[in-house]
Amino acid sequence: MIVAEHINKYYGKLHVLKDVSLTVARGEVVVIIGPSGSGKSTFLRCLNYLETIDDGYITMEGQPIGKKKLSDGRLVDDSRKNIYRLRSRIGMVFQRFNLFPHQTALQNVMEGPLTVTKIPVAEAKARSLALLAKVGLADKADAYPVQLSGGQQQRVAIARALAMQPQVMLFDEPTSALDPELVGEVLEVIKDLAREGMTMVVVTHEMGFAREVADRVIFMNDGCILEEARPQEIFTNPAHPRTKEFLSKIL
Amino acid sequence: MRIGPIDVEFLLAIMPILLKGALMTIELTVLAIFFGTIIGLFVALMKISRFKLLTVFGGIYTWVIRGIPLLVQLFILYYGLAQYFDIQLSPKAAAVLGLSICGGAYIAEIFRAGIQSIDKGQMEAALSLGMSYTQAMRRVILPQAYRRLLPPMGNEFIALMKDTSLVSVITMVELMRSGILLNSTYIRSMEIYLTVGIIYLIMTTFFIYIINLIEKRLSISDAS
Ligand SMILES: Nc1ncnc2c1ncn2[C@@H]1O[C@H](COP(=O)(O)OP(=O)(O)OP(=O)(O)O)[C@@H](O)[C@H]1O
Ligand SMILES: [Mg+2]
Repeated sequence: MIVAEHINKYYGKLHVLKDVSLTVARGEVVVIIGPSGSGKSTFLRCLNYLETIDDGYITMEGQPIGKKKLSDGRLVDDSRKNIYRLRSRIGMVFQRFNLFPHQTALQNVMEGPLTVTKIPVAEAKARSLALLAKVGLADKADAYPVQLSGGQQQRVAIARALAMQPQVMLFDEPTSALDPELVGEVLEVIKDLAREGMTMVVVTHEMGFAREVADRVIFMNDGCILEEARPQEIFTNPAHPRTKEFLSKIL
Repeated sequence: MRIGPIDVEFLLAIMPILLKGALMTIELTVLAIFFGTIIGLFVALMKISRFKLLTVFGGIYTWVIRGIPLLVQLFILYYGLAQYFDIQLSPKAAAVLGLSICGGAYIAEIFRAGIQSIDKGQMEAALSLGMSYTQAMRRVILPQAYRRLLPPMGNEFIALMKDTSLVSVITMVELMRSGILLNSTYIRSMEIYLTVGIIYLIMTTFFIYIINLIEKRLSISDAS
């Protein structure tokens, strides 16, 4: 579904992603773990072109992301329009929710379908209400983000991303900004998505969650993928000493 | 008739001329706010654009316009253009142009600060839904920014109203120039200019009142 090959990215002199390659199959749940500053967020943001990459290439279902193949095989920057269309097929959920504060929960969820896909209002509303019900917030449709708890806000944010009917969902530490007692309700929603077969890339420090839903766990360190394995293997018998050290600190 | 030191009869005699001038002051203010806001929005968008050339142009605009006194700008527009390019603007055209250009530079800075005060996550969330930059601005960023813009914009509008008095020097007959003309006939500076000042005060007070009203309205309808 998503293929990233030899991604390199620099912030000025800082080499944040070093030759990162990753393939995500349809329906697969990939969890990325790693210490702070290792480039997890940056990598995720490259996948939907919120960040540009300096080298390498990314494809989604065979289509290059942010680049376009010319007839002679050269890659050039894609048109803005194609990038926008591509982003609309990739859902993203942020650590700090980023709900639109001037809109109600329902309006937040409807915003994408109305502004981007431009479907009729009635249809957008029906779809959005169904999604709010799915994340357990049918009764909060008319609440503004400030009137919601962190866990509720994040669930609205998930519904907002789902409203675009994405083929892939990217989660960047979706529970890191939440009080401990609110983490569970958000993870439940993500687990449901996994059960439904949604393709997902999840950056998280929730190891229990990773163990339960991940098909594969990736350990990133200092801009590199150091190790990738099935959760049982990586948690019980990590191959790399750096992984072992990281896990011993976090578990 | 006199009340204390005030010659009521004289005041009544000059009032129609001053009020006519005040009307022109209001007209100039409204026009300057209208065009200045349009200019300001465009210059602000230039300054935050990802195109280097636009950023530089926007930067030069606000730097130059805010760095040169409005009075000098008005002289250049009214007298300067006539000398060099044979463009003789009418006093009113030069006044509206000068006030709008100048107001636009200050309003641009207000817009820019307002837009940049919105959390970067908002733009990212909008883009991640597949919105274009323009859609994200229109649907997500600007609706949040404009609530924060109102107080500084109110200040700027009041400053613009007072600045309209400067166009009296390019023979534009508004409130201040009406006063100057009256004084050249009657030579009663204190009474005339004090009255002019009080009329300005009434207008700015009324203006502040309206802006406060709008602000209150917004904060009521704004549940977030
Ligand atoms: N916009 C930016 N400009 C410059 N440097 C940046 C920028 N964003 C991130 N970085 C740097 O790039 C590196 C990787 O950052 P990134 O946010 O991807 O790490 P992370 O693995 O997500 O960390 P965390 O667990 O803290 O979220 C860090 O050293 C960070 O300081
Ligand atoms: Mg991060």
